[in-house]
Amino acid sequence: MTDRPTNEEREALIAGDQAGALGPDEVAELALMADLLADPSTWVEPDAGLEDAVVRAVVGGEPDAIMGVTPTATLAHRRAASRRRRFALSALAPAAAIAIGAVVATRGGTGTDFRSQLSATALAPGARASADVTHSRAGFRISLVARGLSPLPQGEYYQAWLKNAGGTLVPIGTFSSSDAHVTLWSGVSPKDFPTITVTIEATDNDQASSNRRVLVGEVRAG
Amino acid sequence: MDPDALDAFRRREGSGVRALYREYGNLVYVVAHRVLGRHDLAEEAAQQTFVRACQAADRIDVDRDPAPWLATIAKRAAIDIYRREARRSTTALADVAANDPSVVTLPPDLDVLDAVWHVRRAIDELPAEEATIVRLQHLDGMTQTEIAEKLGIALGTIKSRSHRAHRKLAALLGHLRSSSND
Repeated sequence: MTDRPTNEEREALIAGDQAGALGPDEVAELALMADLLADPSTWVEPDAGLEDAVVRAVVGGEPDAIMGVTPTATLAHRRAASRRRRFALSALAPAAAIAIGAVVATRGGTGTDFRSQLSATALAPGARASADVTHSRAGFRISLVARGLSPLPQGEYYQAWLKNAGGTLVPIGTFSSSDAHVTLWSGVSPKDFPTITVTIEATDNDQASSNRRVLVGEVRAG
Repeated sequence: MDPDALDAFRRREGSGVRALYREYGNLVYVVAHRVLGRHDLAEEAAQQTFVRACQAADRIDVDRDPAPWLATIAKRAAIDIYRREARRSTTALADVAANDPSVVTLPPDLDVLDAVWHVRRAIDELPAEEATIVRLQHLDGMTQTEIAEKLGIALGTIKSRSHRAHRKLAALLGHLRSSSND
């Protein structure tokens, strides 16, 4: 068993190439970032049923809802809060300068371009899922919301794929059963690879699909 | 946000509500959970957040990222619930178990809320396999060697994915920081 990574080592991971060039204030701010990444509350996930509850609450309306915030007020709040955000985030400025292109690439999308409803196979009869696909310069961001998938034993995981008419599979990401809402990425377009599948895979160094499909769906223009 | 989805949200159509929730539901829940520390109350706050957002949806500027606005609504909804729960105490503290979930021991940590939702949003932008590695490194405190063994992936792949993930995190958070200085 190896030693746990120290806080300093985790902070160095975040700082990346700039790790050796930070001032005392930036080091302190970096420690806050590392603390937040190590805080379970940063990683909490709502139950899959919350989406339906939100839809019911909004569509059905709530008479006692209080509207205390407007976008204008929020803008003012954002500016007022910028000092706090600077404290938390300024340590990352050097890396941002290096990788600003990646930011533009990953956040340049313009809404949902493709959608899919995935149906369960006999391997997971209680499962279902939906996927929204957004195109950006970085590729195709796929927001997958899966429900009813079973917890998997140690050594197995779920893997999502896009498939074309010729049967060629492109892996788009892996996740565990605890992830009700996961983000996947594809370098190929769902227009050319219109079938989305989720399979159960084993950690056996075999990169090919196991063909143990649990969810299957067709991707259509959104 | 997709203008069509936003229009559907304004009209209280289920498709629009789902679109907004799938994009920002985790973010809203994390903010609420940070304030309230309880799953059930955080879900209540999340529902209230989207109801309040819908009531003000006609004033959303489609050219602006709605995430800060939703996070602020979530924070206020959660604080309202926190205050309600704080007034609800009817049992002598001495009669309540120390680990009772209704025992509120600390006030909401509001100062770091903005940083929390920025971090969570950046995490949600990562591909799943990279987010998993970041989680194992920071939350579970695993070494890259341990992660490679756990996931059955070559150590070199883990290292490159980790490096790529942290560069993305830094870039995403740096981008948000620069936008706060407008």
